[in-house]
Amino acid sequence: MQRRLVFLSAMTFLLPVVAGVHLFLGFRSTDLPQLLFAFAGSDAQSFEEAVLLYQRVPRTLIALYVGGVTAVCGFVLQSLVRNPLASPTTLGVNAGAALFLVAGVLLFNLDTKLQGAAALVGALSGFLASLAVAKAAGRRNDPRGLSLILSGALVTMFFTGLTNALLLSDPARRSDLLSWIVGTINHAYADRLALFWWVGVIAILMLLVLARPLTLILFGAEKAASTGVNVPIVSGLAILAAVLGAGSAVAICGPIGFVGLVVPHIVRPLVGNNLRISLPAAFLTGAMVCIMADLIGREALYPFSLSTGLVTDLVGGVVFILIIKRFYLSSGAQQGVA
Amino acid sequence: MIRRGTATDGLGILRFKNGFQIKISNLFAGLGLAMAAVLLAVYSLQIGLTKTGISDFLAIFVGAELSDAKVYALIDVRLPRILVGFMVGWAVALSGAVLQSLARNPLADPGLFGFSQGSMIMIMLLLIVVPLAPKSLVALAAVAGGLCVAGLLLWLVGGGRSSGLAIVLMGIAVETVLSSFGTLLILYLPPETSLALSEWLAGSLFQANWSLIAAFLPLHGHLVSGILIAGRLLPAYDLGNEMAMALGEPVARSQPLLLLFAVVLSAAAVTAVGPLMFLGILAPHIAAFLSPATGRARLVLSGLTGGILVVAADTLTRGVAVGLPMPLGLSLTIIGVPLFIIALRLQALRKFQSH
Repeated sequence: MQRRLVFLSAMTFLLPVVAGVHLFLGFRSTDLPQLLFAFAGSDAQSFEEAVLLYQRVPRTLIALYVGGVTAVCGFVLQSLVRNPLASPTTLGVNAGAALFLVAGVLLFNLDTKLQGAAALVGALSGFLASLAVAKAAGRRNDPRGLSLILSGALVTMFFTGLTNALLLSDPARRSDLLSWIVGTINHAYADRLALFWWVGVIAILMLLVLARPLTLILFGAEKAASTGVNVPIVSGLAILAAVLGAGSAVAICGPIGFVGLVVPHIVRPLVGNNLRISLPAAFLTGAMVCIMADLIGREALYPFSLSTGLVTDLVGGVVFILIIKRFYLSSGAQQGVA
Repeated sequence: MIRRGTATDGLGILRFKNGFQIKISNLFAGLGLAMAAVLLAVYSLQIGLTKTGISDFLAIFVGAELSDAKVYALIDVRLPRILVGFMVGWAVALSGAVLQSLARNPLADPGLFGFSQGSMIMIMLLLIVVPLAPKSLVALAAVAGGLCVAGLLLWLVGGGRSSGLAIVLMGIAVETVLSSFGTLLILYLPPETSLALSEWLAGSLFQANWSLIAAFLPLHGHLVSGILIAGRLLPAYDLGNEMAMALGEPVARSQPLLLLFAVVLSAAAVTAVGPLMFLGILAPHIAAFLSPATGRARLVLSGLTGGILVVAADTLTRGVAVGLPMPLGLSLTIIGVPLFIIALRLQALRKFQSH
């Protein structure tokens, strides 16, 4: 109990600090006191204030939303699929959302609002496609769900391939989508955040409401059923919420990979599996990780700026390797790996 | 001189006096594939904006005068493209076939395991340090990169336990990290190089030309001897390392050699056209479906199938998607994933039956 509280309060303290660095890094220190007052007024008085209000603030908010929502969704997916490698990235959710959004833009000229809907449908179809492929390739001796993750990787490659082919077919509009498709947190996507934020909020609220029965399900479906939990409905709703929440994050700034995979592995050992506590912890940690990734992408290779998706892919991929090594290839885990 | 006999499985087999033998079904499959390759090349010569084809091509040898546009289309664009495509497909398919026997994993593939990405990264690093590096140095860098990834993968997976899905996933993970690292490196390349490279990264035949073929051809000569040696060893490896040792195979010496052979093959393909995924899995599987074979025959059949697949994919994208500059790597992925899933399904069914 002690450790959980320490972690939660540390995160609640650290998140504003990191967000503050993200907001104010790069301004002259003499300007800072005045910039703090910029939030009070409604309009920007100077160039610096305009940068802060119209570029930095939207960017921080997008990173906060995307990181938090993706991490929570990844946590729920990992718990329910019972697989340490499950996440929106590895189960085809992100790739599906990206494919449907790009197809919607290029083939049907959807406006921004409908693009979000397309991304949500795509997220769901990516997830279902991964399940279907895993079932088709189903191995009887696969207790650790490796074939599901492999199917997710295959679906991701296929959808990404289709997305790239679609993009190549329309060079004129390709450049508009090119920075989106690699996952970029950019103030230009603020209007998308304004349109889609409610999806993630509803998803998280729903998951918090379901947190108690979900935690019971983690102890075993039979045990949960014996305490009166309707297991199929609760897990179905939770997975739906998680997939749609992750899809809404993709709709805003493109696929930011691996946050949903990495953050649960940071949070779980420290906070445990009680979702009522670990979901908020995952939200805070995910938001912080994403803001930090954006900060690194912005500042590390100055004057070049990297897209946030690239940073998370790079770091997340390494963690992905470590997880495979720890859970599937260490000597204790050998039994049953087919 | 040549005797016709019956193999232990009751199928016809040809035995040569010097001990060489080949199954009749494999011989026919090989001849059929070679014929298919020639027919495909003839058809592929006709696809494109300039209206010309095999008759014009033959006319050049008789000495007929052709318009410059036609000669350019045939000799400078289409023929090199077909040849490079075939050679690359042949190389990647062989690499896949060798890896599959080595790892005893039917899902092994130089692209999926990250070897090609490793080669690509090393080439980029070289080009950052030495922007105008000669082709031979580039090829060397590609081999070095592939070897590094192979070593990394072996270390990560840990020697003996290389079968199963875990190594495939590990390969995909390594591939992900390397490709995002590659995207990062592109920032540091001089603009003109990085533009050419981004096309290369997608795996494309756009830059196929005669000098590339000339650089690639000696390597192809070595391949023949490689097939003769590797083909003799691989059936023993198919039975597992312990069994291979029991059969008198010096595993400790020949295993690294075979791995080097596979890496060199994939590195050569990367140097020519860039990383191609799935081809190394598809070709041996399709070849085995057409005519089950072992040893050298398996390698030759896989290579032929790989070459045909690449030329077919290229012809298809040129014919169907006119004006759409679809890179080869992309069309191979789009064709490859569904076929890969089918291969997984078939494998699962076979396991189901054997249990």
